[in-house]
Amino acid sequence: MTDVATIEAPATARAPGAPSGARASDPRRTSWPVLVVFVAPALLVYFGLTAYPAFRTIYDSFFTIEGLERIPVGLANYNALLQDETFWVAVRNTFVWAFVAPVLDVATGLLLALALYAGVPGARFLRIAWFTPVLLSYVVVAILWMWIYNYDWGVVNVGLRAVGLDSLTKSWLGDPNFALAAVIVTHAWKWAGFNMVVCLAAIHSLPSEVLEASELDNCGWAAKLRHIIVPMLKPTLLNLYVLAFIGKMKVFDLVWIMTGGGPLWATETVSTYVYKRAFNWNTFDLGYPSAIATVWFGVVCAAVILLNRVFRSKDRLEY
Amino acid sequence: MRVSPMMPRLFGRGALTLVIVAYTVYTLGPFLWLATMSVRTTGEISADHYAWPRVFHWEQFRIAWVDSDFATYFWNSAIVVISAVAVVTLVGAAAAHALARYRFRGNRLIYGILFSSIIFPPQITLISLYQILVDYNLYNSLIGLTLVYISLQLPLTVYLLEGFFARIPQDLFDAAKMDGYGDIEIFRRIVLPIGMPAIATTLILNFIQLWNEFLFAVVLITDPDKRTLPIGIRAFMGDHFQDIGMIAAGVMISVIPVILAYAFFSEKLIRGMTAGAVK
Repeated sequence: MTDVATIEAPATARAPGAPSGARASDPRRTSWPVLVVFVAPALLVYFGLTAYPAFRTIYDSFFTIEGLERIPVGLANYNALLQDETFWVAVRNTFVWAFVAPVLDVATGLLLALALYAGVPGARFLRIAWFTPVLLSYVVVAILWMWIYNYDWGVVNVGLRAVGLDSLTKSWLGDPNFALAAVIVTHAWKWAGFNMVVCLAAIHSLPSEVLEASELDNCGWAAKLRHIIVPMLKPTLLNLYVLAFIGKMKVFDLVWIMTGGGPLWATETVSTYVYKRAFNWNTFDLGYPSAIATVWFGVVCAAVILLNRVFRSKDRLEY
Repeated sequence: MRVSPMMPRLFGRGALTLVIVAYTVYTLGPFLWLATMSVRTTGEISADHYAWPRVFHWEQFRIAWVDSDFATYFWNSAIVVISAVAVVTLVGAAAAHALARYRFRGNRLIYGILFSSIIFPPQITLISLYQILVDYNLYNSLIGLTLVYISLQLPLTVYLLEGFFARIPQDLFDAAKMDGYGDIEIFRRIVLPIGMPAIATTLILNFIQLWNEFLFAVVLITDPDKRTLPIGIRAFMGDHFQDIGMIAAGVMISVIPVILAYAFFSEKLIRGMTAGAVK
């Protein structure tokens, strides 16, 4: 290959640990054709299939697009969005989901990890067993849980009838009061194992002296959890929370397959609503759903930045 | 009196065991139930949804595979996922190597650009990708879906590999340069072999995520012959929602490759999935 001298300005050198050799032969520099060969394919994929479509969606949100016809409408789509009650119901559901469900996921994951850390017999098997749902696709999880929630023969109602609580049986996915909770439980079922594995790795990386000292002090497990484990794992737990939050702001597959957003918009999320308006209702307008997608894109980015800020500043205060 | 300190401990042990058994039933129960239903006929299932299979109807899998088109869906999924994973790994590894190894203006900017799209909600690209693929005659084509899948997994691939490649000692590269290796040779003959553990992790991770992908497939593929497994199963369920035995067999067909990958590479997979979450 070409061994051309470096072309980049040395002023940009960032690393203080640069080898003491001559600048010109810094081994961490290379010629730009080499860089192009390595980086261009990734940038091409990124700009062609992520950046350009994203910009195009934002641009499209100012039009009404029916087939090949594009009518510029200015901010009309955004105005319509403000009046769109279904959209606000979807926003509310998505926020409920995004703020509540991660607590469930992370708490379950932490408790499972602690059970494994306590050295129960068969921990290896349990770790694999509890992780399995993470691997299943949403279609599989959705089908399984639609059967579990089945009114006539689903295991929830069968179990309730078996213990004489017939009055509590209901069509879990068909009842607007319970459908969202039912789908959130299903989602937690899928993701608890992931949080468990991360928590377990984090617990193992804690200094063991602290845990041993607390054991000598006869510290009860609840106190140990509250005063030692949770504070020490805080960065990991917050990270998991943010990760779960991002996932929930995008949630689509499970809702779409299990309830389609129904009954009566009880489980409608922003994602399912965008999909409906773009591809499912026969309105044939791609401008309006583009506006929803654009707004939601802004909300997700802002929420992630905000959460990172809040959590990081809190951490700094405590130490 | 001597017994009393034992009591809470015994109780704690018992409670812990109870919770563990209950949670294991909760995670594995549905899966076992599915497995038993996949070898029972729908008639048998309707008679009793929770019975153990008396006769194992393995022919259910043959029927699902041949008569219910799950073979078509399976091979479509296999083609799309394997090609997307191969391309994204190569493209991602090349970029990750350059970003981890070379110092150049804009290095961190490019890394940030490539990585930040990991938080994008899918709808922001979905609607336009649909239009773009229609424009380029790639709508309803496996090639179009493959291209989209490559772009979906690129951020994660670059992120995981950059972290690993950055830890390869610089001495190796200096020595290789002395031996007259060019930049491409260094990548091919040093980075790729040494980075194999990390590359294997991304391969499995990308495979499982794309094998399970639903949203982009359901928008970009409507032709029944081009369906991937998740949308094939979902379409089958839509048409035959009472044919529980056959749905269960189809679901098992889609789950088996993932379980196999997990059985062989569980450590690598877990390390990949959790990378970045532990601080």
